[in-house]
Amino acid sequence: MAENKKVLVVGGGISGLTSAVEVAEAGLDAYIVEKNPYLGGRVAQINKYFWKLCPPNCGLEIQFKRIKNSPRVTMYTLAEVANISGEEGNFAVKLKLNPRYVNDKCVGCDECAQACPAYRENDFNFGMNKSKAAYLPHAQAFPFQYVIDANACPKDCMKPCLEACKYNAIDLNMQAETVDLNVGAIVFATGWDPYDTKKLDLLGGGKVKNVITNMMMERLASPDGPTEGKIVRPSDGKEIKNIAFVQCAGSRDENHLPFCSYICCLASLKHAIYIREQYPDAKVKIFYMDIRTPGLYENRFYCKVKDDPKVVFTKGKVANIAEEPSQDVTVVVEDIYGGGKVKETFDMVVLATGMDGAANGSKVGIQIPYADDGLVDDAALKKGMYAVGTMKSPADVARSVQDATAAAIKSIQSVNRR
Amino acid sequence: MAEEKTEAQEAKADAAKAAEAQVEVAKAPEPFTGATVTPDLQFVNAIIKGGGESLKKCYQCATCSVVCNLTPADKPFPRKEMINAQWGLKDKLFGNPDIWLCHQCSDCTAYCPRGAKPGEVLNAVRKLSIENYAVPKFLGKAVGSPGALVPLLAIPVVIFLIILAGLGHLNLASIRNEAGEIAYSALLPSLYIDGVFVPVFLFAVVSLLIGVTRYWKDMVQAAGGKPKGSIGSAISATIGEILTHKRFEKCNLTVSRKLAHMLVFFSFIGLAITTAWAIMYLYGPPIMKFMGMEPFGWMLGESPYPLTDPLKWLANISAIALMFGISLVISNRMKNQERAGKGGYYDWLFIYIVFAVMATGILSQLLRLADLSALSYIMYFSHLVVVFFLFAYAPFSKMAHMLYRATAMVFAKAAERDVEVK
Repeated sequence: MAENKKVLVVGGGISGLTSAVEVAEAGLDAYIVEKNPYLGGRVAQINKYFWKLCPPNCGLEIQFKRIKNSPRVTMYTLAEVANISGEEGNFAVKLKLNPRYVNDKCVGCDECAQACPAYRENDFNFGMNKSKAAYLPHAQAFPFQYVIDANACPKDCMKPCLEACKYNAIDLNMQAETVDLNVGAIVFATGWDPYDTKKLDLLGGGKVKNVITNMMMERLASPDGPTEGKIVRPSDGKEIKNIAFVQCAGSRDENHLPFCSYICCLASLKHAIYIREQYPDAKVKIFYMDIRTPGLYENRFYCKVKDDPKVVFTKGKVANIAEEPSQDVTVVVEDIYGGGKVKETFDMVVLATGMDGAANGSKVGIQIPYADDGLVDDAALKKGMYAVGTMKSPADVARSVQDATAAAIKSIQSVNRR
Repeated sequence: MAEEKTEAQEAKADAAKAAEAQVEVAKAPEPFTGATVTPDLQFVNAIIKGGGESLKKCYQCATCSVVCNLTPADKPFPRKEMINAQWGLKDKLFGNPDIWLCHQCSDCTAYCPRGAKPGEVLNAVRKLSIENYAVPKFLGKAVGSPGALVPLLAIPVVIFLIILAGLGHLNLASIRNEAGEIAYSALLPSLYIDGVFVPVFLFAVVSLLIGVTRYWKDMVQAAGGKPKGSIGSAISATIGEILTHKRFEKCNLTVSRKLAHMLVFFSFIGLAITTAWAIMYLYGPPIMKFMGMEPFGWMLGESPYPLTDPLKWLANISAIALMFGISLVISNRMKNQERAGKGGYYDWLFIYIVFAVMATGILSQLLRLADLSALSYIMYFSHLVVVFFLFAYAPFSKMAHMLYRATAMVFAKAAERDVEVK
């Protein structure tokens, strides 16, 4: 077989996009495989980046533009890797493409969604609202193309959509297909999931309504989120007067994620700013073990938030969360410097959940080797395969992009050396 | 030495103040005064050796204090004990009821994000606390060190062998009482038994009382005065709690210990009553005769007693309860060891001695009834050795927990250190 200089990138988040465009701009063909109907991954869900607090779509748009301009990038959305076989320089990859029921003719006019009679839980917003079963994943989705959720809206239910579409963009006969690719190198960029709160039994076990995760807070604060950017508590839409942040929810814990997830302190500091901007009188309390804001700008960001007299930092890890009849949330913590075990009640509590980098690694056609800490064991990966970003270590966007660029050059070297 | 200690305490207090100042640095910056703490590394190593090897993993997150259902809300444990232990600040640990208010539920250990096992560390600190207050001190050290086990066992073995040799009772198979039965009173007449055990018992009681008194004084000193509440009502409340085992109910992971501990506890009480009862059988008739009275017919005199006698009922019920209780203690520990920690030598020594007391006691009776003279006498001899071990070393072994923990509970109650969360 002729030498193969194509590169497969599994995962279309900020890391995967970066690896793919870097490879393509260096003159090789790249494939992006993304399980969601859109690219952009976790970054697309974020309201603002710390520490400059600019919207992340700026960064994503640059990558999308590079993809659009590059004839060498092929992207597959709603796609999964079913199988990978072969060796460095010659991997045979089998993809499974799930039907979108909407073809490339879609212009994003929203007629199908308006006509659609069924609703689905909006996973982009972590189930905090519902969308029509024919939906655009989010306002800035790329590709800008609607999707029909066949589980929420089986065959006959879709008919009004078909009738509503003026562009012949809806194809109800779409079937799942398989695609075979041959590539020389593979970059895994499957990213991370917020740590599953169901596993945090001390912190409500995912059952307390007004306990949300930090990623849910991003969606609440986003202008295209479930509340159009107004931060209110999920159970009754009540405005926030006092809110608590519980740091290290699952991180630095041998029973959960043994490592520091790196971003959660900065995320909570950023969220404190979101709250204080929307509610000038609201009180914010951050319960922490250690505030970890490594880096010059990161630490300045911390100092800025700390100067706000309405943001109070209490040293002590919350280890008990309960729901009051009023749906307020009570936390119990040892206030280490204050010297007592205290019970405090808040309108809403945000868990600074950590980065679970192993969450998606089992669905990529091969068994990704993980070390005991749940992070990819780089040395045990097959030659010609590279894992990037949050699979290897919790990372912010900048570090993920750096690592993805490094993986691009590694895969280029891998396929050219042969 | 005393000066050094107070210096270290002051230094620690200064460090704590400095730490507080650091937290609020944005609002009220205070210069760090350069105070130092002198860690007692030998003490730290003693904790590590005594079953607290995970001590240094603690990073002070305070999950333990929150999941603990037995801690008072004010200055809760075991988080502060963990940092005091890491620094080797033993005065802060010993002169405090908190290490004994801990009943080692091990909920802290199960939820500890670092595997620092606060329950095990506090257990090791309690061991060192018993050792610290022990009189004489060398016995306190010896009971806690595996190397001293053989000499400690050799003491009762030698004592009883000398007595048997002196009596010429080494030819075991031929020893019978006047009725021709196997009788342990024929092997070792009661006067000899009591000649050994009464002094042993008194020694243990005196040693324990001295130790507990010193502990109380240390607590008073550390608290800056006697507890304000009534000691009398604290004592009665403590006894009530011990009898009902209420605190064990507050454990989550190891709540099954309540039954196990209750069985052991009440079987010990049953066996104590049995002993008093037997003393009455034994010494009642001569005393009554001495006082010119006719002894009661139910005072049976020398053992063995028939199985139908109420004394034997109580004795055997207690023995069976102890068998179930101590077996349950062992199986609970095995079952929970992954999450709760497996315990150190000190714990297991005590458990095995209690088990041995139970096993040799029951077997002595069974072998006697089976009329296997040599075997039964050897078993009885072993029983005497382990009972000696249990009582003579009670002030130094984990057995001492009953008095130290009760004392701490009384102090805490009198000082109004309540367990409810605010």
